[in-house]
Amino acid sequence: MMKPRKERLRAFLFARELDQWLGLLRVGLGLQVTLYSLAVQNDWIYLFGGAGEGLNGRALSEGLLAADSPLVPRLGWLISVAGFAGISESMALTLIWWTLFVAGLWLFLGFFSRGAAIAAWFSHLCVAKSGGLVAYGVDNFMTIGLFYLMWAPLPDRWSLDWRRRGKAQATDPRLSGFFRRVLQIHLCIIYLTSGIAKCLGSGWWNGSNVWRALTRPPFDVLPPEVLVHGKFFFPLAGAFVCLLEAGYPFLVWSRRTRLSSLLAICLMHLMIGLAMGMYLFALVMIILNLAAFGPEFSFRFEKIVPGWVKKGLAGTG
Amino acid sequence: MAVRHARIYLVAFVLHFLLILAVAAHDTLWLIGHGLTILPKFCQPGAEKAERFTSTLLAQDAPSTNPLRRGLSTYLHLAGIERGYGYFAPNVPVSYKLVLELHHVDGTMDYEVPAGSGAATELRLASLLDEIGRTRNDRLREYLIKMVARSVWREHPDVSTVCAVFGLRNLPTVEEFKRGTKESYEFLYAYEFSRANTSSTVTNP
Repeated sequence: MMKPRKERLRAFLFARELDQWLGLLRVGLGLQVTLYSLAVQNDWIYLFGGAGEGLNGRALSEGLLAADSPLVPRLGWLISVAGFAGISESMALTLIWWTLFVAGLWLFLGFFSRGAAIAAWFSHLCVAKSGGLVAYGVDNFMTIGLFYLMWAPLPDRWSLDWRRRGKAQATDPRLSGFFRRVLQIHLCIIYLTSGIAKCLGSGWWNGSNVWRALTRPPFDVLPPEVLVHGKFFFPLAGAFVCLLEAGYPFLVWSRRTRLSSLLAICLMHLMIGLAMGMYLFALVMIILNLAAFGPEFSFRFEKIVPGWVKKGLAGTG
Repeated sequence: MAVRHARIYLVAFVLHFLLILAVAAHDTLWLIGHGLTILPKFCQPGAEKAERFTSTLLAQDAPSTNPLRRGLSTYLHLAGIERGYGYFAPNVPVSYKLVLELHHVDGTMDYEVPAGSGAATELRLASLLDEIGRTRNDRLREYLIKMVARSVWREHPDVSTVCAVFGLRNLPTVEEFKRGTKESYEFLYAYEFSRANTSSTVTNP
């Protein structure tokens, strides 16, 4: 009785998977890292600089981090190393910004994928931890995504590395399947706990939390004069968010409901991004979801698109 | 793949997800244990007990110098799993505002609200304001506000004194908004910083 169960678990965790999901994750996170670095470029020194030029929140964040776990990477380390080479703090921060930006671009292209993934994870982690006081959800999810990407069997077949090295570099499809499972299960835990926590708040059931979330600065992208017209929609939206998040881990595993639940969760994140100005947060969540549960559908879609293109070309010709 | 490798992956998988579940459960149980949810009061003692169990599992009860605690904490940070996922849960938190009153040497005065050059920075500064609002440590709060005040000071070298007023934004509900109620500002703390870096604190009466 034990052996079949063990075998089933092994078959579930090490299912043979093509690496399209990994391609989606790499391209998506590459785009995410690039946009992330561009979004904070103008305030980079202000947010992460020391007492001379920036907010100097780094000193406190790094102090608290050192007391908790002294081995977690931080900007202070890199700035100290740069200091030995005679590089100023602001120059060191600029170099770190460029490292993050270039790592994002290389990830996107799949150029030295593994090295780019490690560089992106490390530099982003330094930024997220040293800027702990000014960090928010996007940093957390980027760390999660980049951590998995760094360990995953890169390069994938969409990468430039694949073209350079050829199929000799092909990795075990069971290993690819294992890392995809890890991402899938992690996402399910994220939504389940987030959904349960929301279900325990009265404000999500009567819609007041939806109104508050949309009018609370700095998420007040839409004017309240416009929002107030949709007040009857708020309780419905609140309940929908609770049930979708709490139900996602169950709905997404079933073949029948996988596409609809995936589309619903991506639509929810898209709405959060547009209505609350959390573009980067929305993007990283959509990327993680599409990589974990989307490849089957995207490739079905891929098969349809050339047909349309052919028809279109025939029509215009 | 060799079985030996599969076992290593399997062990790593179990440990990794045990930590994720412990952290996620810890945060949710904390909310229930502190009576912040719609669950009845009799659930609180059980949640507190379960929360203590997850704390033990994460070695949070051990001294901060304990190698196991430090090792676990380091891994949690590296993997990005050091915190739970209760964003905007169980309810959307309150919002804070920091207004800086800049007193120039020529006797003039103007106001400034800390802001970055883009939306991404606005979100980050909101996290900082939430941190200031959440802390119960007076010294930490003063340190954080002084930190913001200093950064503004650098851009205005002619300012002799900065008065920082930190407060709560009272946002109207839908019904209140329809009746014409606007956002109000509830004073919480005020600090005055002079060039000599001295500060005086006025707390909410």
